Amino acid sequence: MTSAASQRSFEIGVDIGGTFTDIVCREAGGAMHVIKVPTTRGDPSEAVIKSIAEIRDRWGIGAHEVTRFTHGTTVATNAVLERKGARIGLITTAGFRDVLEIARQWRTQVYRVVLQPEAPVFLAPRRYRKEVPERLDATGAVLTPLDEEAVVRAADELVKEGVEAIAISFLFSFKNPAHERQAADLIRARHPGLMLSLSHEVDPAFREYERTVVTAFDAYVKPRVDSYLARLEGGLAQAGISAPLQVMQSRGGLASARVARDRPVRLFLSGPAAGVIGGQIVGASAATDNLITIDIGGTSADIALISRRKPMLRSEGVIAGHAVRVAMVDVTTIGAGGGSIAHLDAAGGLRVGPHSAGSEPGPACYGRGGQEATVTDASVVLGYLDPDFFAGGRLKLVPDKAAETIERRVAKPLDMTTAQAALGIHRVLNTQMAEGIRLVSVRQGIDPRTYSLVPLGGAGGIHATALSRELGIRRIIVPRIPGVLAAAGLLAAPIEHEVSADFATPIKGLDLAALRDKLREIDKRAAQLIAAEKVEAAAVTITYSADVCYIGQSYNLEIPLHLDDPDPAGRLYRDFLEAHDRIYGHSVDSPAKIVGLHAVHRAGGSDVLEEMRFAPIDGPKELGRRDIMVAGETAFVAAVVYDRDALPEGFAFAGPAIVQQSDTTTLVEPGWSGIVDAAGNLILTRDGE
Amino acid sequence: MTKSAANRELDPITVEVVRNKLEGIANEMQQTLLRSSFSPIVKEGLDASSSLFTIRGETLAQATAIPIHLATLIPIIEKILQVYPLATMKQGDVYCMNDPYLGGTHLPDVALVQPVFVGGRPIAISAAMTHHQDMGGMAPGSIPTNATEIFQEGLRLPPLKFRDAGKYNETLVAIIRQNVRIPDAVMGDLNAQLAACNVGARRIAELAADLGDNHALAIFDELLDRSEKLTRAALKSIPEGTYRYVDFNDNDGIELDKNIRFEVAVTVKDGTFHCDFTGSSPQVRGPFNCVPSGSLAAACYAVRAVTDPDIPTNAGCFRPISLALPKGSVVNPLEPAPVNSRTSTIKRITGCILGALKDVLPERVPADNSGEMLALMFGGHYRDGAAFVTGELIAGGSGAGLESDGVDVIETDVTNCMNLPVEAMEIDAPIRVHRIALRQDSGGAGAQRGGLGVVKEYEILDGDISFTYRGERHFFASQGSRGGGEGAKAYAVIKRVDGDEEVIPSKMMATLKRGDRVVIETAGGAGNGAPTARDRTALATDIADGKVSVEQARAQYGQA
Repeated sequence: MTSAASQRSFEIGVDIGGTFTDIVCREAGGAMHVIKVPTTRGDPSEAVIKSIAEIRDRWGIGAHEVTRFTHGTTVATNAVLERKGARIGLITTAGFRDVLEIARQWRTQVYRVVLQPEAPVFLAPRRYRKEVPERLDATGAVLTPLDEEAVVRAADELVKEGVEAIAISFLFSFKNPAHERQAADLIRARHPGLMLSLSHEVDPAFREYERTVVTAFDAYVKPRVDSYLARLEGGLAQAGISAPLQVMQSRGGLASARVARDRPVRLFLSGPAAGVIGGQIVGASAATDNLITIDIGGTSADIALISRRKPMLRSEGVIAGHAVRVAMVDVTTIGAGGGSIAHLDAAGGLRVGPHSAGSEPGPACYGRGGQEATVTDASVVLGYLDPDFFAGGRLKLVPDKAAETIERRVAKPLDMTTAQAALGIHRVLNTQMAEGIRLVSVRQGIDPRTYSLVPLGGAGGIHATALSRELGIRRIIVPRIPGVLAAAGLLAAPIEHEVSADFATPIKGLDLAALRDKLREIDKRAAQLIAAEKVEAAAVTITYSADVCYIGQSYNLEIPLHLDDPDPAGRLYRDFLEAHDRIYGHSVDSPAKIVGLHAVHRAGGSDVLEEMRFAPIDGPKELGRRDIMVAGETAFVAAVVYDRDALPEGFAFAGPAIVQQSDTTTLVEPGWSGIVDAAGNLILTRDGE
Repeated sequence: MTKSAANRELDPITVEVVRNKLEGIANEMQQTLLRSSFSPIVKEGLDASSSLFTIRGETLAQATAIPIHLATLIPIIEKILQVYPLATMKQGDVYCMNDPYLGGTHLPDVALVQPVFVGGRPIAISAAMTHHQDMGGMAPGSIPTNATEIFQEGLRLPPLKFRDAGKYNETLVAIIRQNVRIPDAVMGDLNAQLAACNVGARRIAELAADLGDNHALAIFDELLDRSEKLTRAALKSIPEGTYRYVDFNDNDGIELDKNIRFEVAVTVKDGTFHCDFTGSSPQVRGPFNCVPSGSLAAACYAVRAVTDPDIPTNAGCFRPISLALPKGSVVNPLEPAPVNSRTSTIKRITGCILGALKDVLPERVPADNSGEMLALMFGGHYRDGAAFVTGELIAGGSGAGLESDGVDVIETDVTNCMNLPVEAMEIDAPIRVHRIALRQDSGGAGAQRGGLGVVKEYEILDGDISFTYRGERHFFASQGSRGGGEGAKAYAVIKRVDGDEEVIPSKMMATLKRGDRVVIETAGGAGNGAPTARDRTALATDIADGKVSVEQARAQYGQA
């Protein structure tokens, strides 16, 4: 093709949420288009395919002009949450099939005496767990050769039981994968269609329960993710899109659908990871490196940290209450949101949450029969929300219901005014969220006062100044388009492949040649993966890191490896001490060891989205005044209500004020000032700073 | 103060805000403590806790990772306030203590206690307790199973100043360093405790400065009163009466043929909860005696478990509790009886209190748990002469509830430790594990089945290894509820390489040689309801899963 049109190139990001599927489409150097379509819960790929037609019809973008298609998916997560994964079998070393069920014998609810199982036994009940004779020792040497007949027998039995996938986890496979590979070959030869997950590939690290459970999760979601992505790829092809489909992984990097289908356990935080990258874009556009994002929705609030312009990761995440050893963006969810219910306990004390009114019937002000007083009802009573402009006017709120319910449920029993009660509900919720942020900060060893707060979600802007006051945060960045940041994050994320390996050695006397050999080995695998993404080798940056701990310690920190340093081992040790001090508050000069290695191959990605330029609409900046009640005041005060879309760059104002936009409302309390920056962000600062 | 001023001051919203902050502060202290501690026992065993107290020594808020620490700081604070009256305390003072006979638990648990000042006036107390890796004494780790008096167990610290107006008490530090095997690690963990106390002190001081100190003190009192009111209301929902239970521990590790009796009479009356242990065994020679702080932890745990879990945990919850602990008995030993291995005793005390209530509260209290936390220790030398010590804590099954089966192999009641991965053990020590498997037929039969115990088999690859086994439930099974069957007893045997077999009588120290094997089987939880009433589909699933054998299905469940 040689026409001018063929030079146009569009990138598309699609993020699937519970209610809406967000689509962001940008042209290199051009504008960014955004649409929202209702999520199709039965098969989420339907909404995605439909949206392609919509993109074509609305903006005249042809399928052949799409050069990249990126996607954040909830399919893996929902398969676990709804327990709709595949029936799988697990094959283990003889004597160890119950490792999955015994887990770490630990319980999460310490004051409960009637116990419920803690291990995810649903992945593979005992009758679907088979043992085969084979054994390696702790160095990987073979003690008992693999019993091939037993493997075949186990697989045949499992297939007869109707399993769609098999997980294989042998002891010490991370030292020597030969037996797992041999077993996989035997099974593939006999049952070609059967999906397999091998523990040395999924998570090559010691501790048999952790490795086994993450391998079983991988197998459990594999058939679901595989068929979903296949349908999506098929649909895209049918629509004429030949661009590769890339899927967001939990670490915050994209991978081709082919790799994602192969290792679906890395997709549990696909959507939230895109959201965190979205937060990173906002920070970059406001030239800010250190951010705390808080996404406040109806039932919960998600807290994440971005440090030095990178999302903070954790090496082990949680899915449906089960710890899984796979790296993820560190998103912490607390049960506090707009739907949190305020109630009185038996001693007459006010409590807020953890129960939520959800979206059905929702807060009383939704007028859908909700009888409970919620935080959103309090926001209406306090004048923060415009009843006619909630969710962009899609839902008309009933202020009388909000007031009546708070009056009945809280104000009257506590002998206070409705406004006082509403303010109280906010104070309690804000305290809970602030304590949540503090705890996440302490865990990552950062001081929240040196970070900027980025409020996200429908309710983030309402609570931002109060939370910042509580935490000593001095600066808030309210993004221009908080509603579609996750989709925008998909466009900004790099392509990324991480490969790790077991490598146990003291740092003192580190054999650098052996280290380089091991890294070359994992590099080769990472290079194969990234080559499949069709990116040029020159565009790939490679970083290495090592899991390090003190000898005698059993948990580790991931420390970057600098092989170009004149003394890589010395540097690694110093950096380990520094990280230990930052996160744990102290370090000592005791000997340390490496326990594992990681190589990360990354290509592309930029958190600076030039396309996020904005132009204010023509129209009145001020929409009027509204009486609001804020903390520290005893009466309602008049606040100016601004239309966010009409505020131009450099526009400045002082609180008390309300800034409305279709997807969120921002409360600017007295003592705070706002200004619109070049990227359209609303920057709030505390007066006198 | 006028009435209206008092009302305004204690507006319920500020009270709730303060409650949330106190919980947040305790959690932040705990996070600091766990994060900055050095010892694996803290990091993996979570054997540490942080608390805030009123200046009267009542718990304001507490973050515990394991319930055995619940309320255990209370007698320590009480003692410190007695020895160092509040009026003599200064900003920057930090106190330290571990002596079980003065209010502590066992010697490895060292408490640090820091008064918090606002405007020169003490307004709260910040405290942290950690199980230290070593406190000296006759055995590494300071929990010698063969101790017969406390002097063998390690360094005893009465209430002493650890810091005086911000300066370390160098005399005390020197004494501690000289008496423990790993002084750097012990000091590192003490400094982690100090960091946790500092976090608590800083944030409480900020909070009190914001509120005004009188206001803060009034709110603290109000919070305790509320939890008390909620707890009493919950206790009143339990039918009044005196409920009794008797259970046994196997022996004290010294006198192997002498079992240990625990007898409790729990009287629930008018919102109070009284536990009388009259009838329990006299104190024992071995280290299984439990000082009163341990019985208090057990009673507090039982009250938290049977009342509403949403009640904020503070001293108010504990006010309705009273204990009668006969002097010179296993639950209130006289000095210098050894106490280091009191964990199994606290577990049994907890089990008895809950057991007493299981008939009157069938929905809230399950059939007996295995009540066993098996402790194994292996120590020896590698071929190159380097020493190693490895060990693990192994659980049995939980008791069946009214409507749910017990859980297989899970920590119960006041303890909550992780097991040791097989791969971790084999990397660290010349030991091979041959199997770890659910123990068929060990769950008590019942309409709801008890949780299964575990079978684990070890082989020694290189001798000589000194081996310590500290079990329970070898001679006394967990008891079922409402016609449910008892759980299987624990069993363990050493299979010598020459073919000899030595059955382990619940406690043992032995030397293992190359080729010797040890097979342990932990106890099962008890069943709930008549086995013949068990749902047949559930029984068929148990048989398919091999959790129940066809033989047991016939013999106990009436399977055709």
